[in-house]
Amino acid sequence: MFPDLIVKPLSLKELSKTLLSLPSDRKYLAGGTDLVVRANADIENSRYWIDISGLEELRYIKETAKSVLIGSQVKASELEDSRIIKKHLPTLLSALPHFASPSLRNMATLGGNCANASPSADLACALVSEEAYIALYLKGKKRKMLLKDFFLGLRKTALRKDELIWGFEIPKISHKGAYMKLALRSSFAISKIGIALSVRINQNKVEYLSIALVSVAPKIITAPKTCDFLKNKILSPEILDKAASIIQKEVNPITDIRSDGDYRRSMAGVLLKKAFKEVLK
Amino acid sequence: MKMKKNKFNKIFSLKCIVNGEKIERDIDSSLTLLGFLRNDLNLKGTKEGCGDGECGACMALVSGKAVNSCIMMAVQAHGKSVITIEGLKDKNKLHHIKKSFIDEGAVQCGFCTPGMIISAQALLKTKPKANIKDIKEALSGNICRCTGYEKIIGAVKKCAKG
Repeated sequence: MFPDLIVKPLSLKELSKTLLSLPSDRKYLAGGTDLVVRANADIENSRYWIDISGLEELRYIKETAKSVLIGSQVKASELEDSRIIKKHLPTLLSALPHFASPSLRNMATLGGNCANASPSADLACALVSEEAYIALYLKGKKRKMLLKDFFLGLRKTALRKDELIWGFEIPKISHKGAYMKLALRSSFAISKIGIALSVRINQNKVEYLSIALVSVAPKIITAPKTCDFLKNKILSPEILDKAASIIQKEVNPITDIRSDGDYRRSMAGVLLKKAFKEVLK
Repeated sequence: MKMKKNKFNKIFSLKCIVNGEKIERDIDSSLTLLGFLRNDLNLKGTKEGCGDGECGACMALVSGKAVNSCIMMAVQAHGKSVITIEGLKDKNKLHHIKKSFIDEGAVQCGFCTPGMIISAQALLKTKPKANIKDIKEALSGNICRCTGYEKIIGAVKKCAKG
């Protein structure tokens, strides 16, 4: 159901005024690529939407000595064009072409992709692999947590009533990245399974590793056992085979309209090896 | 629980530029951009296919970028420039991408054509020397159920330099 009313604050001051006077049956609208579709399907029924796409405070990509900072209202296509993203966040960069279609990338925001908390959110998965923190904002106060802990379950997040995603802080860690995805077609499709690999390999030894996966559990998951096994190991086909069998035990996929649970489990191992192959190119 | 008094008005005063023309209109705030273009401005070239941002028939350029106007709310175009298929012109001549679609026989039923041309325009503005891979990627959000795509891709390639 479409809302009765959409309010468009153009500053944080206007936003706080809006929150004081608008009835509580309300939801934030960012890029709209999930919310509007859900309203069309009558899954989303909030009577009031607050369009936050006009809040310039939430549109930035910048860097400090230790981190990359991205505002929640930055659109996927703006990430593709960013010099800072290209330089420091290879896993996120690798995930971008896999995310929706070019026109949806012109609309969808990074904050929206996380707020929607779909277990198949490509960009959120890449960010989890990049060990991102998420900054949340409510009534002038900010709090920060690991993005991995922000997702609580299927479409469930740590967001409190009226809390807003302010942005992301991603530590600068020297690494390479790959995002691998299996879907019904090569472009513009929701994944059967996807894996985000952030890794630094020195003389064939795994020095740093972070893995996140989509569509294999009710939420985006990491693979701590696989990471523990691979860290400080010298890469070989045998080691990667063993890692593949470990990651297959770490995932918990279901059978649904897009794929079969056993197939997904099996592909977790295959994609892990493919992702390593990609970064070693 | 007593509801707080709602002082908000359902009407939104939308200001934007559509096909080069300044528009100031009081609209229902819960209107999609597609609904605004087709019903308020009578620009019927932009089509509604799936209504879910999947098929690309509703493609329009907002701030020069292709968007699915069926899932964009009109309020989100506030302060921005919108170009629809009607606004694509080469001075007083038929727009070169439109001409190429006609010359190459890239149109059958024609329902997807405006969206295809808008996506092609967005691509060629940023990548004038687009290759076949670029074209396929740029049109990946546009679905055609008649042509099998070959002629559409050919028509866009003909407009790419080099």
